[in-house]
Parts: sequence; C-alpha cells; structure tokens
Amino acid sequence: MRVNLARTLPRSAANGPGERFVVWVQGCPLACPGCWNADTWAFKRRDLRSVDELTANILATEGIEGVTFTGGEPFTQARALAEVARRVKVAGLSVFVFTGYELEELTSSGQRALLAEADVLVAGRYVEKERATGLAWRGSANQSVHFITDRYGPGDMIGIGEVEFHLARDGSLAVTGFPEAGLVAYDGDE
Amino acid sequence: MSAYMTLLTPMTDEACLLAALADLGFDASKVEVHTTPANLVGFTGDRRTETANIVIRQRYVGPASNDIGFRPTPTGYQAIVSDFDHPRFGGAWLSQLNGRYCSHWAAKQERLAAEERRRLEEERARLVEAQRQAVHERAKKMGYRVQETREGETIRLVLVKRTY
Repeated sequence: MRVNLARTLPRSAANGPGERFVVWVQGCPLACPGCWNADTWAFKRRDLRSVDELTANILATEGIEGVTFTGGEPFTQARALAEVARRVKVAGLSVFVFTGYELEELTSSGQRALLAEADVLVAGRYVEKERATGLAWRGSANQSVHFITDRYGPGDMIGIGEVEFHLARDGSLAVTGFPEAGLVAYDGDE
Repeated sequence: MSAYMTLLTPMTDEACLLAALADLGFDASKVEVHTTPANLVGFTGDRRTETANIVIRQRYVGPASNDIGFRPTPTGYQAIVSDFDHPRFGGAWLSQLNGRYCSHWAAKQERLAAEERRRLEEERARLVEAQRQAVHERAKKMGYRVQETREGETIRLVLVKRTY
C-alpha cells in the first residue's frame, strides 16, 4: 500500500498537541473556497511513499509525541493511513487527524478504520465566511474537535502554538498552523 | 486543514531583481532605477504617496494601470502593486518573478570569487536575522509570544497567543 503525499514536516508544534510529525496528503474532493492548501487538491501523483517507508520516516524522528494527518483530505487515503496509524500507535505515538468531512460522513469501512486509530479528529468543511482565529486547531468556527480516545482532552487546547514559521538559511520562510492573514501577507499585499 | 505555505524568498540583490523583471518583459528600457525613492504615479497621472527605488511606469503596465514599484527594506525588496493591478501583477506574478530572481541569484553566486562569496554569506546572515526580527515584531504586534528553537540551520518560531 502506498500514500500519495503533498509534503511532510518532521517536527511541528502547531498541528495538534505537542511536537508532531505532520503529513499533508495529496488530493481533496471538497475544494473548500479559501483553503490555504489549494495545491493539495488535485488527485495527481506527487510524492508516493509506501506505508513501510512513511512509517519508518515517522518512527525515525526523535522527540515527537505523535503524527498528524492533514491535507488534502486524509480520508480519501484512509486505508493506507490507518495502517500507518496502527503501526505508530504500537510505538506509543498518538494520532491526530484533520478532515473536511463531518464525523457522520465517515461511513466507509476504510474511513472507519482510520477513525478507529485516531485519538483526535478535527472535522468539518472550511467555511470562509466563518473563518476565525484563536480557535485551537480550527480555521473556521463551524469545525469541531472530537476526542476519540481519552489520551487528550479540552485541557490540551490551551496555550498551544497556533502558527509556526520555519526560517531557512537562505532567508525563505515556510508557515504552518492557523495563521492570521496579517502574519503572512505577501509583500505588496499589506 | 492546517496551513502549509512557502513564502517568497527575499529579493535583496538589485541586479538580480532587474534581470528577473527583464525576463518577465520589463527590460531596462521600461524600468527606472532611482538612488533616492521616487513617487509612484497613478493611472490618471496623480502622484501617489508611495515611493520606490525601482519603478515600472504605468504606461508599461497596462491601460488604466498604476505604477509598480519595489522599495528596499531590511527583509528584501517590497513590491508595491495597486489593487487594480493585483489580478495581473499580484501573488502569482510575484511568485514567477521570485522564481526568476532565484535563478539569477544562483547563477551569480557561481560566478563569484571567494571574497565576494564571503561578503554575500554575511549579507545572507544579516537577511536571516532581519527576517527573524520581522517575525518577532509582527508576532508581538498581533499579541503572540514566540518560542524560538534551532534545528540545524533552520530557525523555528512557534507563535502562541498571549492570554493576559
């Protein structure tokens, strides 16, 4: 089994509780207007990795407490991600999943398999007119946080990193998390 | 979904920026370079408050367009593009320009002698520091505290909203 990825980030503190390995999958049928990650919508081959390889990448990263699946739409590749999740959980890591679907829309056996491995699910379409900042792990107010297991709870949503910048040696910046527009304005857009 | 975006690589080198503009159709005959900032001009001939050192006059931008400018800042040249011209010269065009700039920058570095490379390396370090400070300042202004760590040559800045 393989997963089609847009990118990975070995370490982030703005994509769920604690330090996490983040996986952005490629392909999303929902295409919510205003989505930050429109480059991940197309169902095209981008970075194909086997379940073995992706699992090894995650487990080789020291000092993380879990993995986060985002995208793209993780539940379009649910079976492969469920297998990755199952394996990293055996190693003691937690699993955090962002989806544009509502919880009750996740009905296929593959989707239920991934859901069964998740500790936390953030669900719901991104709705541009309900965009809000300061909501832990959510970009719009309609989205909901589901604590599937008791590993985490509402207390883990307080005082967390909301935005994260990675400043490379050439001066370029990458941004992840839930940035306010003013934080990431292009030159000339301010 | 949580965001992941790569922002534009800062453009700090005037010659590379001019070469990149030429690649996109604005060669030396269409670009003014000023040692002191010049006012930009709007489509009706009105003098704007914005100033820039590198200016593409509106007649080269398009009918009913305004001047486009680039002004140097500690974090690289900042583009000044009017709202009207954003559909043609906004984010996508700036990304294209930035791509061309990076190509010229890489080619220039290969041509340089060791001494000049050292100077550019120092300039790069100053740029990274300016970028770092800019993130800190913007975060502070918007009510965040910043947790900074280094991973290899990458600086990671995690922004947490202040709760007091």
